[in-house]
Amino acid sequence: PRGSPPPLPRGPSGVPAAPSPRPLGGPRPAVLAIPEGETGSVHKRGKPAESPPFPPRGLSCPSGGVFASGVMLVGDSGVGKTCLLVRFKDGAFLAGSFISTVGIDFRNKVLNVDGVKVKLQIWDTAGQERFRSVTHAYYRDAHALLLLYDVANKASFDNIQAWLTEIHEYAQQDVVLMLLGNKADSTQDRVVKREDGEKLAKEYGVPFMETSAKSGLNVDLAFTAIAKELKHRSMKLPNEPKFKLHDYVKKEVRSTGCCKS
Amino acid sequence: PGPARCRRARKPRGVDSYGFERPEDFDYVTYEEFFSRYLVILTRRAIKWSKLLKRKNSIQKNLKVKRYIRKGIPNEHRALIWMVVSGAQANMEQNPGYYHKLLEGEKNDKLLEAIRTDMNRTFPDNIQFRKTADPCLQQTLYNVLVAYGHHNKAVGYCQGMNFIAGYLILITKDEEESFWLLDALIGRILPDFYSPAMMGLKMDQEVLGELVKMKVPAVAELMDRHGVMWTLVVSRWFICLFIDILPVETVLRIWDCLFYEGSKILFRVALTLIKQHQASILEATNFPDICDKFKEITKGMFVTECHTFMQKIFTEPGSLSMATINKLRETCRAKLLAQG
Repeated sequence: PRGSPPPLPRGPSGVPAAPSPRPLGGPRPAVLAIPEGETGSVHKRGKPAESPPFPPRGLSCPSGGVFASGVMLVGDSGVGKTCLLVRFKDGAFLAGSFISTVGIDFRNKVLNVDGVKVKLQIWDTAGQERFRSVTHAYYRDAHALLLLYDVANKASFDNIQAWLTEIHEYAQQDVVLMLLGNKADSTQDRVVKREDGEKLAKEYGVPFMETSAKSGLNVDLAFTAIAKELKHRSMKLPNEPKFKLHDYVKKEVRSTGCCKS
Repeated sequence: PGPARCRRARKPRGVDSYGFERPEDFDYVTYEEFFSRYLVILTRRAIKWSKLLKRKNSIQKNLKVKRYIRKGIPNEHRALIWMVVSGAQANMEQNPGYYHKLLEGEKNDKLLEAIRTDMNRTFPDNIQFRKTADPCLQQTLYNVLVAYGHHNKAVGYCQGMNFIAGYLILITKDEEESFWLLDALIGRILPDFYSPAMMGLKMDQEVLGELVKMKVPAVAELMDRHGVMWTLVVSRWFICLFIDILPVETVLRIWDCLFYEGSKILFRVALTLIKQHQASILEATNFPDICDKFKEITKGMFVTECHTFMQKIFTEPGSLSMATINKLRETCRAKLLAQG
């Protein structure tokens, strides 16, 4: 069974030991102040009590006025993480031109969010289970996570809960999370209804949309929504209305079929 | 590789001698400059090698052969030399019919499924791996991976093996030889790199961190200060053995040494890349910029000039004794096991 978190490291007496501290370096200074309990932060349960709370980290380049944020794509092998990323970055989809992602890799894209430049460093991960130890290395540094399944692959949808467990275990408590049902262009092959995705997302309080790297449906929206949320978290202007990720997604999301409710 | 492929500058997308499409922004002028120089070296090495092979019926591992290999194996002899120095040839001869028996035996459906998922995702930029190619190397690749997964059940299939097997097929043009070479790499040269726990990989990533601490301490300090774990920037280097990281010709030159000298070569390559670009890496002041740097240092003329690059890997990092590496491996392994 995939996705179940690995057992806690055992101390010499056989009792679970406290999670080891960051293998490298100490906590980074908080440059972006990320308020707690913000919309889009989905953790139902807290981290283990012995886990020291990592300060929220963001990075900024003060001179250029560019905010840098880390986004991570996760989900089963073959759900289209790389395709989604390439579609977003280059606006292209060439069937049969993608290579399987080994370990972890990233691409950068700079977005203009309401006049502010946001550099997204988007980390693409291998879906194969044995690469978890590699991908775990980035969870803590991710400000946002896009969790994908393939609407034409039931197993990838069934695994979402296991992925959420893993995210709760390894990601920052206030990470921005969004659930994406990818390959929404599949009509004949579709086995996961949009309503099923919506229902699951609602259960976990996560924003949700269906995307298609092939047609481009909602691809920019997914990344833009995240960039907006991160930008608003990091630089709250006094008179600015609060940005609500859920509402924004609901308002902007496009549907595949003709029968959008 | 002949000079013919250098004259494609006007075509929108040229193809190299291995079947890989050149990227759209490929700098033909600079490459041609390099290649005309490299061609002289290739010719000289080819003459030396054919003399060596003519004199001897069988190649044995010795200092002269090691020196020759470090200077590059001519492509026409690559398959043979890899087979001999890695022990793959001996294994193949001792187990006649074994490979085909694996293909005829009972199959694990989950394994087949995992391999199938990657078929269209292995070198789509190589014309020989296209579905429409004739002969299409996808079937060959599938067979090699399926056979290997059933031969080495502890490993099964790990993403990255598709690229490695793909290169082996491109060089040997022989299914069974590719299988035995894959076994040499995964079973012996890189033990436990690809098994589910990936302990060998994790260990060597840590060892690299320790070596950087010894040899390029400022970079180690930078990584430490910003909490960038080595696995984030080097896991692809180690898993794919530099495929898709460095230029094809450079990867093959690295593999020449890898088959003869073992996994230590990976450290030499990584250390050379890091040490050579130390000043540039140290310009980074935050996490994402550090990651960007580790991508930048695998590009440009420094890595394209494969002959000079290969000379550098044996000088730039300084001495790297097996005793040091083994000691570091031991401590890193103990550390990882303690972490659980």
